[in-house]
Amino acid sequence: MSTRFDVIVVGAGPAGLTAAQQLASRGFKVLVIERGKKPGSKNVFGGRIYAHVLDRLYPEYVKEAPVERWVRRERVTFMTEDAWTTVDFETTKTEHRSFTTYLTNFVEWLGKKAESAGAVVVSEVPVDSLVIKDGRVVGVRAGNDEVYSDVVVVAEGINRLVLERSGLAPKLSPDIVALGVKEVIKLDKNTINERFGLDEDEGLAWVLAGYPTHYLPGGAFIYTNKEAITLGIVLYLKYGYQLDIPIYELIEEFRLHPLVKRLVKGGQLLEYSAHLTPVAGLNASPPNLYGNGYLVVGDAAGFLLHLGIIIRGVDFAMESGRLAAEAIIKAHDVGRYDAETLSIYGKMLEESFVLRELRTFRNAHKVLMEPRLYDDYVKLINKALARYFDVDGTPRRLGSTLLEAKGNITLLDLARDAIRVVMNL
Amino acid sequence: MHIKSNGSSNIMGGLTIIVPVKAAVPNVTAVRLDPVTHNLVREGVPLMLNPYDRNALEFALRLRDRYGGKVITMSMAPPSGKDFLESTIGMGADEAYLITDRAFAGADTLATSYTIAKSIQKLFPNFDIIVFGEETTDSATAHMPAQVASWLGLPYVYYAIEAEVKLEDRVIRVTRYLEDEGVYETYEYRLPIILSVYKNSNPPRDISLVRKINAKVNGLVKTIDNNVLKLERECIGLRGSPTMVTKIEDAKPIERKRQLFKGDPKEAARWLLENLIKEGVIRL
Amino acid sequence: MSLDRKIPIEERLNSNAWDVDQRPHIRIIDPEQCRKCDKKPCLYLCPARCYTPGPNGTVLFSHEGCLECGTCRVVCPENNIEWNYPRSGFGVQYRFG
Repeated sequence: MSTRFDVIVVGAGPAGLTAAQQLASRGFKVLVIERGKKPGSKNVFGGRIYAHVLDRLYPEYVKEAPVERWVRRERVTFMTEDAWTTVDFETTKTEHRSFTTYLTNFVEWLGKKAESAGAVVVSEVPVDSLVIKDGRVVGVRAGNDEVYSDVVVVAEGINRLVLERSGLAPKLSPDIVALGVKEVIKLDKNTINERFGLDEDEGLAWVLAGYPTHYLPGGAFIYTNKEAITLGIVLYLKYGYQLDIPIYELIEEFRLHPLVKRLVKGGQLLEYSAHLTPVAGLNASPPNLYGNGYLVVGDAAGFLLHLGIIIRGVDFAMESGRLAAEAIIKAHDVGRYDAETLSIYGKMLEESFVLRELRTFRNAHKVLMEPRLYDDYVKLINKALARYFDVDGTPRRLGSTLLEAKGNITLLDLARDAIRVVMNL
Repeated sequence: MHIKSNGSSNIMGGLTIIVPVKAAVPNVTAVRLDPVTHNLVREGVPLMLNPYDRNALEFALRLRDRYGGKVITMSMAPPSGKDFLESTIGMGADEAYLITDRAFAGADTLATSYTIAKSIQKLFPNFDIIVFGEETTDSATAHMPAQVASWLGLPYVYYAIEAEVKLEDRVIRVTRYLEDEGVYETYEYRLPIILSVYKNSNPPRDISLVRKINAKVNGLVKTIDNNVLKLERECIGLRGSPTMVTKIEDAKPIERKRQLFKGDPKEAARWLLENLIKEGVIRL
Repeated sequence: MSLDRKIPIEERLNSNAWDVDQRPHIRIIDPEQCRKCDKKPCLYLCPARCYTPGPNGTVLFSHEGCLECGTCRVVCPENNIEWNYPRSGFGVQYRFG
């Protein structure tokens, strides 16, 4: 029996399956090990994928991939209990930039791609740890079984228990992750199109800040699918200890907020899910992204760009998987899989959008963890506009209304925070 | 129907144990009813190995581990059934057979049991034990073992929790557990026999990585169609199925009253009793 | 199940597909540590309400409704939760993700 492979991939998610498909299609003997019953059954995300990586990897995706709707409308809302201010962006351009989907379906599709390229995808088995001999990773351990390979791609997702148990990453800190809690709500197509002002197959991506997290750092999201909407909240766990009601109540309060309640009326709950997400950019990475006999990709590597309004995980995961595959192909040509040879992975990441963008926005998480953004400023905007629109014969200029509404925040704070947001996001 | 029960059996080489399995929806609350057609909407609901079949497989694996021989799993399912049959090999089954053909589609329990019984007869005429799960989590008829026993003219013991075999005498002692009575019963039979396993017994072993790789890489799940089995069309699939489902209704969930009584336990008991009588839940 | 009111967490979990292992994949390492813990963030940060207050300041847990996010392990100030992935494909079966 064959218990030796060229490459073992731990985890059948967007990153791992991309690496597996790339390697298998180049003739490598690849084993993917997944803990769920099938690829996708343990994956959760917000709701949208940026398509640029797919253009390159699977040009046929426009016809094949389980796309729900193409996003042509973006909304940002600053929300208090009884008022909200929304920026609404819409374009008539029909370029395919990003789409909403169900991650379970999308990953299942990626799994079929990897299998048809020749990868062996084994599900229902969680990997316990890496097998390390003489300072190099030589395989994986699952229960009483060990399976060996030249190199292991660690694509195990955000919790990275395998890296931790293998002594390659410290325990995950609440400072670098956020908790997302999500509900999938079934609504018929026409109702969605009417309520959200969408045409056939047009999608909306919407982020909301302030009240959804009770003014703590984090936010909420709503995405439209064909015949369902997904809504959820995201809370930075660094501030989780300050939460005044349980998180499972928080999402209900968001859904029952007057703005949201009327949008989901008559809907039916299809699924309730939760997942952690890295939010500290480069600071969320394990100490090493590669070493003797292994590479780390996707969420396990902390590769997620979080800019508050724009959140990109799947494209970063897939690109890092592709680069890991390229690095392994180069290392194979050299004939060695030690850290020095695999350092090509680090160089390729630096040259790719993965690390270029994460470096450009390296301070984004610090700005986004500023509680004033979610509390004082959200309230300020709504208070100022409420005063401004409240015509009662008292003359009000926009400037003086703002000054009146800003309360204890100094103008210096305002200016400083505004600059930080503009410069870092 | 005549079953060869001795002579040609290779029993000293251990037991040949067949475990027929089925895909099921794991928890039925996730399944919705179509308001128009009244059919179960299984779309998007993952099918997986019926949980109670895992207890049956574990029961069979323990017998094999003790007495030698082999465990063969079998399922009548669409081609996608290969996945959950691979899981049975992952748990430890030696071989797995997917009985699949368009001609089998639309079968009720009668046509299914006929197909399974005939498949076993054709493929493994010298089997010793057929082990079923107690029922499936989604349709819960528990028809299959009794009907297969009937087609094969064999004894059937249900709620089995453990068994001992005397290989040289071809005798099996089966212990079963009757939950309602809280009683254990032990029966002795000559092999072959058909068993169904009490659903809360024999907690299944884990799926092994190496075994599952083996199932995939070496294609251990064999596919059998009706060109091989040559079963009569009148007895299989939709044509062999007399069952008619006229209507399925959604049981409306009862909204809880969420009443809370605080205070003395004795008064609480009285309060509860009075309210239950008032609501017509109990009668004195 | 109307969306016009808060849906109790049990009902929300019931909308999911499950294949629950009888063996728990969560373990509280030392119950005494929970008694000493004043914040008990597991009680309000677990999105499935797997953790509930027990007698005398202890914490009770059930693994059946676990959504496998890993939050409890991360937020436990005492590092007192041993948390594994369920084995053999058990646990929550996401259909949408």
